[in-house]
Amino acid sequence: MTGDLHFDLYVLGAIALLAICSFLTRAGYFLFGDYFPLSDGVRRALRYAPTAALVGIIVPELLPWHADTGPVFDIKALAALAAVALYWRTRSSLLVIVGGMLAYWILRLLSDLVS
Amino acid sequence: MSCWLARLRKVCVVAQIRFIPGWRKSHKWHCFKAGVRDAVPALIATGTWGFVTGIALVKSGLTETMATLMTLLVYAGSAQLTSLPLIESAAPLWLIFAAGLVVNIRFVIFGAALQPFFRHMPWRKRMGLGFFSTDVSFVLFMGRYGESKERGGADQLWYFLGIIVPGWFAWNGSSLLGIYLGAMVPASWSLEFAAVLALMAIIVPLIQTRPMAMCLLVAGLVAWIGQPLPLRLGLAAAVVAGVVAGVATERLTERAKTS
Repeated sequence: MTGDLHFDLYVLGAIALLAICSFLTRAGYFLFGDYFPLSDGVRRALRYAPTAALVGIIVPELLPWHADTGPVFDIKALAALAAVALYWRTRSSLLVIVGGMLAYWILRLLSDLVS
Repeated sequence: MSCWLARLRKVCVVAQIRFIPGWRKSHKWHCFKAGVRDAVPALIATGTWGFVTGIALVKSGLTETMATLMTLLVYAGSAQLTSLPLIESAAPLWLIFAAGLVVNIRFVIFGAALQPFFRHMPWRKRMGLGFFSTDVSFVLFMGRYGESKERGGADQLWYFLGIIVPGWFAWNGSSLLGIYLGAMVPASWSLEFAAVLALMAIIVPLIQTRPMAMCLLVAGLVAWIGQPLPLRLGLAAAVVAGVVAGVATERLTERAKTS
């Protein structure tokens, strides 16, 4: 509580509405799916949705694009490439995280030394 | 009273163990464990995301109480993170609601794919399974049972539970940790990058076929170009473009095979 009743109520309102969002989108189809049948073709298409969504979240993090300066190249993209290369060699998901993080720290150190 | 006892017994069953001999050897427990095992790499992603989200919630001006409420009630990281700049700029509540819906629209797609496996269950259980479903549960569950003709088996339910139960604890535990301890982690660690890497650790193993690779390429390109769009519409566009690319490649490959 901030002591500002108006702001507290506003945030509570936002939380309540977001909770409704979560409920509608997640539980909606589980509850009423029988009334909205989907064809097999649609179902097959849906297999590609999660990959596309996760890519859609990751890409702006790796290759940000600021409204005033345009596309930006970040060493995060390089570290991510290193992480993928590491996965190809080892087939270990955990090494994607650990290796990528290490690569990022090393690259950041190098770029600090150069500049 | 007896109803209460029955409920406690149920909790013991779900939290598994010891009170009921033989449970550990049962088929359901076996499936539950398989789900947990498959979810472990994703749990690291979930935990990192939750931790980072927890930090972001308090750093953007929410009190610990509000941040805790949001984490427990909303249980949707991207929607929560999307709402923060809107709350900070005192945007109207309807806009926060609309933005939350757009970011969460993927759950409708996930729900449509998962629902046939659970349609036989009573509505209260369906509601619970739906509300606690996650991106990870969809990816892993469809990876294992997406092609299966038999739907609605106990093994499927318990595998799904094996993913979503630890997921709930990982998310909320790490979020609360982020909310209350976040201030102590130095920003120079750039822990938010570990969250991105953790998501990559989910995607990379999925890229096994040509349609999936095309989906990744096209979705990535659209997501990159679509960044200046408001309300994360770039994300929605990436989802649509990725699905279209995947299906188109699938059709073309099939046509090349048959002709």
